[in-house]
Amino acid sequence: MKRTGMILSAIAVGALLFSSCRKEPLNDMTEEESRIYVTNYDEQADFTTYNTFSIVDSVAVISNRDSKKELTDYDIKLLGNLKSSLQARGYTLVDKSAKPDLAVNVTRIDNAYNSIGYNPGWWTGWPGYWDTGYWGYPGWNYWFPGYYTVFRYNERSVAIDLVDLKNAPKENNQLTAIWNAMLRGTGVWNSSNLDSMTTAIFDQSPYLKASGN
Amino acid sequence: MKSIKTIILILIGSLGVSSAFAQSSRPPFSFNLNYSVAQPLGSLSDYASKTSFRGWQAGFQYALNDRLSLGAKAGFSDFYERFPRAVYPGKGEDVSAVQTHTLQTIPILATVQYNFAGPEARVIPYGGLGIGTANMNYEKFWGEFVERENKWAFQVSPELGINVPFGKYSPVMLNANVQYNYAPYKVQEISNFNSIQANIGLKFHIQ
Repeated sequence: MKRTGMILSAIAVGALLFSSCRKEPLNDMTEEESRIYVTNYDEQADFTTYNTFSIVDSVAVISNRDSKKELTDYDIKLLGNLKSSLQARGYTLVDKSAKPDLAVNVTRIDNAYNSIGYNPGWWTGWPGYWDTGYWGYPGWNYWFPGYYTVFRYNERSVAIDLVDLKNAPKENNQLTAIWNAMLRGTGVWNSSNLDSMTTAIFDQSPYLKASGN
Repeated sequence: MKSIKTIILILIGSLGVSSAFAQSSRPPFSFNLNYSVAQPLGSLSDYASKTSFRGWQAGFQYALNDRLSLGAKAGFSDFYERFPRAVYPGKGEDVSAVQTHTLQTIPILATVQYNFAGPEARVIPYGGLGIGTANMNYEKFWGEFVERENKWAFQVSPELGINVPFGKYSPVMLNANVQYNYAPYKVQEISNFNSIQANIGLKFHIQ
């Protein structure tokens, strides 16, 4: 019995050690380290064939089947950063009525209370997401080519979609998204992080430039 | 780590009790508990190169005679490395992230040991072999987002070590050994599990 007791206590102690010995990656992670910036691009697309772009006038906020358009200080700065970054790559900002080659949709997603899929484009068709009618194609759908992502999580994030209007009437009344950026992790809705996040997504997308550049 | 200290204190405490039962030959059944340090090798080292100082091993053995014993052991190691922010390209995709690579392994092995010296020796060197399975918990963090894959793999672990009795025929011994671990384990960037591990602890022969 003494022997059995010792073995059992050893097993109990062992089980305790399993849980306590591990170094937990999240314990010493800063907010900056927690964030990831994912860009997806259509491998068929030639980004130098586009010259003009237009950007939405506010940001779609999608949360738990409730959604609205907002224009907070954060949103103003985000839209401004995207404009100047695209202009720095040689694209010309025009009004959406001037038949831009590219449309820029911007969405904030608060996914803290539901767990929807995280493939780029799942938010298209969500109430509140930019309707194709906004870009002059009422009743159309957005289409995201077979992008690949590994992540699925409940969180807040930001999605930026670059939609091809130049080659719009291609097939099936679909507007094709040729580029998408997702900002994910702690603090992505914090204005003070916007500059570094915008720089990161453009730095990792060197192909995103107009022919004149 | 705090709990390791507690265990060691308990072990040292029970040392006194065991010596009271000291006799001319050791009881056949023994139990050991070791602290482990493991160094990853090969592709495991490419994945997470830092030495694991968060490990332990526990086992029991039944001596068939003075030289040969059979038993089983289990353990734990935690491999970890954090990489500065970098852009990881994929198909039609680029991800900027601080990656943290971790792998926790829990081997459960059947063991055979052969002593190169008799029970009366001051130092008993031995060789051993463990064969069994290991639970490999692969967790790669992209920022705060984890990619997880838990798998069981076959594992084989040869071992060389010494047992140093606390006095002649003492049922309590200091155990120190070095073991090599191999598991044909393929997950993402890891093509094989290879590590070399040092263990130090106590071994008790009990009634």
